[in-house]
Amino acid sequence: MLYIIEDTINGILMGSIYGLTAMGLTIIFGVLKVINFAHGSMLMVGMYVTYWAVTLTGINPYLAIVIVAPVMFFFGYYLQDIVIKPIFIAEKNVREPITVIIVTTGIWYILDNLTLLIFGPQYRSLADNPWRSKMLEFGDLFISVPKLYGCIIAIVTAAAIYWFFQKTSMGRAIRATSMDREAASLQGINQYKIYNLAFGIGSATAGIAAVTLVPFNNVFPTVGVLFDIKGFIIVVLGGLGSIGGALVGGIIVGLIESVGPQFMTATWTEAIVYGLFLVVLFVKPSGLFGQKHDW
Amino acid sequence: MSVFRKLAVPALAATLIAGSAWAENVKIGNIIPLSGPSATVGQQGKNAREMAIEEINAAGGIKSLGGAKLELVFADSESKPEKGVAEAERLINTEKVNVLTGCWNSAVTYPTTAVAERYGIPFVVPVSVSDKITDQGFKTVFRIAAKDSWWTRDQFSFLKDMQEEFGTKVEKIAFVYENGDWGKGFAGQWKELAEKGGYQVVLDEPYPSTATDLSPVVQKIKRSRADVLMLVSNAADAILLTNTLAEYKVNLKAIIASGGGHADPSFLKAAGKSAQYLFDIVEWETDVNKPGAKEANEKYNAKYGQNLTGEAVDAYVAMYVLKDALERAASLDPAKIREALAATNLSDGPGMIVGYDSIKFDATGQNENASLVMVQVNDTGKGLERITIWPKSARRAGYTPVFPMPEK
Repeated sequence: MLYIIEDTINGILMGSIYGLTAMGLTIIFGVLKVINFAHGSMLMVGMYVTYWAVTLTGINPYLAIVIVAPVMFFFGYYLQDIVIKPIFIAEKNVREPITVIIVTTGIWYILDNLTLLIFGPQYRSLADNPWRSKMLEFGDLFISVPKLYGCIIAIVTAAAIYWFFQKTSMGRAIRATSMDREAASLQGINQYKIYNLAFGIGSATAGIAAVTLVPFNNVFPTVGVLFDIKGFIIVVLGGLGSIGGALVGGIIVGLIESVGPQFMTATWTEAIVYGLFLVVLFVKPSGLFGQKHDW
Repeated sequence: MSVFRKLAVPALAATLIAGSAWAENVKIGNIIPLSGPSATVGQQGKNAREMAIEEINAAGGIKSLGGAKLELVFADSESKPEKGVAEAERLINTEKVNVLTGCWNSAVTYPTTAVAERYGIPFVVPVSVSDKITDQGFKTVFRIAAKDSWWTRDQFSFLKDMQEEFGTKVEKIAFVYENGDWGKGFAGQWKELAEKGGYQVVLDEPYPSTATDLSPVVQKIKRSRADVLMLVSNAADAILLTNTLAEYKVNLKAIIASGGGHADPSFLKAAGKSAQYLFDIVEWETDVNKPGAKEANEKYNAKYGQNLTGEAVDAYVAMYVLKDALERAASLDPAKIREALAATNLSDGPGMIVGYDSIKFDATGQNENASLVMVQVNDTGKGLERITIWPKSARRAGYTPVFPMPEK
């Protein structure tokens, strides 16, 4: 019985970190109406920024957030401004900017391969990292400390972003653009500026997720791919554009992955996650917390 | 002075003519991947062959052939089977090579050996692991390295030897492996070997290599109360598993890995102390306790800037196997060379730096004495390193393996 409790806790902790990795994806989709295929790569870039920030300055890996989040914000902001915006402008009369999706796929490949060229294929992890194998032990019940921290950071981040979107005027401008970009433009909101902002926030969220992952994971050029597909499933499960939904979607995936293997082989849990993904698409295409209205 | 020169020149010319008439060079055709995806390994094979040939020629070549020198002819397979076949035809018909070697990629070696068989040209395979290469009933194929199915065989022989040496009994085994072809292939063989060895399999768990969290799998290992855990992992998951096993304080008598991710150069660095006492299987390790191994590795490193690898050692040894056979054949007739190769029983002399004791080919052309090498990850004061421990004759001098692992 104890192990089921242990697995459930592990699933919730790991799942909320999955939710955090997917949160940027859902923010960017909510505003730009574009699936950002480069999201995993942005997570990877965030992990490298975290790794080097900690390795070079020796600061606490969790304090690295104050470096990583701003760096990743500007990275996302200018990536959208310089690379993606021109495509948006070229396609402004098209309702579904498909070319942008292709561009984000291109960014994914460029980032992954550039990292491979610069840093090589090595697996890196923080040297002398006190968090790596830190466990809370209650008798036979083990709880991973870095995962617990990750879960707390995920909840705080989700709450902060929610507050920002609801309570600040900039947040309202972003929401207005997400609901109707033409109408928002008519109200004097600069649509492309908002896109830059949303991309920046999404990217910064990926950076925060990266900070939670680095203390107990390896950093390597294709690490983003592992979280990428999971991220897509999570946001569809939780509802595209919904921040709370991403968190809940993440926890559902985390629970399946963690509790499932106690009843079957680990390979099967992957199939169950994909199966659930299909079921949601059939039964409730807008996801658990998605808005019904047409994007 | 001029008189001396007048005399010397014809004399020198005479010896040269006599020499070449006597000692025709032995042409060795080598089909290896020098470009394409396996180019790195191909280059290692080329370097190792060149180093061996240099040594053999400097020591006087093939004495029974009047000091004939060995000459290498390289052809690039690009890791493509059709390219390998075409190059074999070219080397045999145009270059008139006396023997062939290659091709590293099993998929290339398999059809290429058929060409050599057709022409009756002996084909030495330093390393291509696929079992079927020596299962074709060919007369001209000779493989030096251990074949695929021997990796698992040696893991179990190792386990048996360790139990005897240290007097610790192992009953329950857990299998945890990546769910691809490689992992499943190993697990299938493990199951048969475990049954034969009288072990109880308490866990048989494939997992996706792309997993981002392996704690559920580790929990299952913990609950299975296995004595020994056997693993097949790629790089990222090998690191993740090793760390998670340490986090959950899983007590095992031994963890036996299957190369791959556990042999990845970044594994030791990324897994750190969690990897201590792990056993891994490899083709060859730089510290094998064999005469000449250290010197050969130092020479190779000085020449090419990297350590010898299992692949390079097999290629290096292949040249000495050929030299030994040519010496006994005393002829360039392919049939005679084949016969000499078939009668090979090489156990010492320069070049014998493999982890096992001798090279002897069975009826299928497989080196029946080939075995793999087991290493243990441990720290003997110079940081974590891979230390050769099995076969016992190749064990690093002065090292006692740690078995069972200390309790956590």
